[in-house]
Amino acid sequence: MTTSLTFGTHGGAAAPSSVPGPIPFARLVRVEWAKATDTRAARWLLALVALSTAAMVLTPVVAPESFDQTWASYLRVAALGLTILLPVVAILLFTGEWSQRSVITTFTQEPRRMRVVNAKLAVSLLLGGGAAAFGGVLAAAGIACSSASGRSLEADLTAGAVGGYLLFVLLNVLAGVALGALLQSSAPAIAASFALPAACAVLGTASTLVADWIDPSSTWNWVLEAEWSGHLAQISFSVLFWVVVPLAAGVARTVRRDVA
Amino acid sequence: MITTTALTKRYDEVPVVRDVSLHCEPGTITGFLGANGAGKSTTMKMIVGLVRSDGGTSTIDGRPFVELPNATRVVGTLLDASAMHPGRSGRATLTIAARLAGVGTTRVQRLLDLVGLADAADKRVGTYSLGMRQRLGIAQALVGEPKALILDEPANGLDPDGIAWMRTLLRDFADHGGTVLLSSHLLHEVQATADHVVVIADGAVVAAGRLDDLLASSTILVRSPDPVALAAALRAARIDHVPGPGDAFTVDVGGGRVTTEVLASTARDHQVLLTELRPSEANGLEQLFFSLTGAKAASGEAAA
Repeated sequence: MTTSLTFGTHGGAAAPSSVPGPIPFARLVRVEWAKATDTRAARWLLALVALSTAAMVLTPVVAPESFDQTWASYLRVAALGLTILLPVVAILLFTGEWSQRSVITTFTQEPRRMRVVNAKLAVSLLLGGGAAAFGGVLAAAGIACSSASGRSLEADLTAGAVGGYLLFVLLNVLAGVALGALLQSSAPAIAASFALPAACAVLGTASTLVADWIDPSSTWNWVLEAEWSGHLAQISFSVLFWVVVPLAAGVARTVRRDVA
Repeated sequence: MITTTALTKRYDEVPVVRDVSLHCEPGTITGFLGANGAGKSTTMKMIVGLVRSDGGTSTIDGRPFVELPNATRVVGTLLDASAMHPGRSGRATLTIAARLAGVGTTRVQRLLDLVGLADAADKRVGTYSLGMRQRLGIAQALVGEPKALILDEPANGLDPDGIAWMRTLLRDFADHGGTVLLSSHLLHEVQATADHVVVIADGAVVAAGRLDDLLASSTILVRSPDPVALAAALRAARIDHVPGPGDAFTVDVGGGRVTTEVLASTARDHQVLLTELRPSEANGLEQLFFSLTGAKAASGEAAA
């Protein structure tokens, strides 16, 4: 019978020499990657990210008079396309398991919760990096179309522009991660990720303090456009405000929270 | 081996688990019996570190669960069969658990066969009945070839065939040296499955021991056509007894000191004729359990 086949390997006095070692971190990352990408919902969302980015990159191709025909300009629209929905992907990475209650399984398979959190962080950065690369390819395709249609292009692709673009995408991903880790519930975290920046933009019109130090549409725009000089303090503060502090609080809450 | 000593949990200063000590030996099935809300799930979640305890300790094979290097390989858990992603197939769910545990994914198909989900393996878990989720949960608990199982209400949602299947499976697991701790709010379920029982009420252990011992009657019914003479004989032999039912007497076994044989010889010594002499029908565990759940139901009705 199959049952004896299954249990036959464990006698009452099973030798303790066969005690397996800890779960390797790379395996945790692979499994978290699989969980983030293997469901129908996750694939639809990633497809929407790709679609919205492609649509954004198409605009400077079809409306050249409104956009600089430069690498920086194309990367910029790609970044704005990516970051509409990419933070939602990052949020769901951290809230999904609380909503589905599958944290019960995850945290009993790896009770060192910090390792699970780190694996999810790694997956979010891989997803962010992959998305940025995808956006880069779309921007290159857009540039190629533009160049093929005979427009004059500036050869302006600098390391600074690429770095600013990548950092901007990753900051948006990490802000989503931070919200997800902190709120641990999908709907409120997604709502907050859209409402909070909008609220900042409104407050920014009344207060230059908010506009210059918190509102990501100004501070992170400096990152995207690689305008570091003179803005380093503001950028650093807004990264603390949107990423570092909520992420630290969210990780602490995730590690300590009772799974009732 | 699963051991807890004086596990305690309070929510907002209200104790929900108080000084719960369990000791589950290899080769045995321990039934954790209590009404809904008695603290069974909270205790189990404290054992596996999902809920932080406010006092006491718990260990699996001598180590705290959270210090096990690869916990799934030591103890399999099923704490909530509905806590699975509905968008993933049963096979995908098991494959993820198998990959994390580091066991070959060939084991996935064997487990699907074992729990009777081979035909539904590629359907989404969201379409599963509760009974199918329980089966998948049991497969997931077994994925790491563990030596111990912790199962919270595993019979919930299973049909009678499924319950019989699960009993056989758990007995087989224990017979191969495994340790099983399972909870239930149904006395007959625990009676049919477990060989050790821990009864919990309002967060505290109220009875624990071998099922046979707990099931043994704590009283003996004895009847004579001459109840006055019988009462005198029992008094003379210093045997605790109360009148009833009817003209019979109910005798306390006094921790095993008083048996039917003792009563028969007492009657003979006092020349009293006996017409009935047998263990009372209601056993200690039933009386205890129904007094606990009955009191709970009564207080619930009073509150409502």
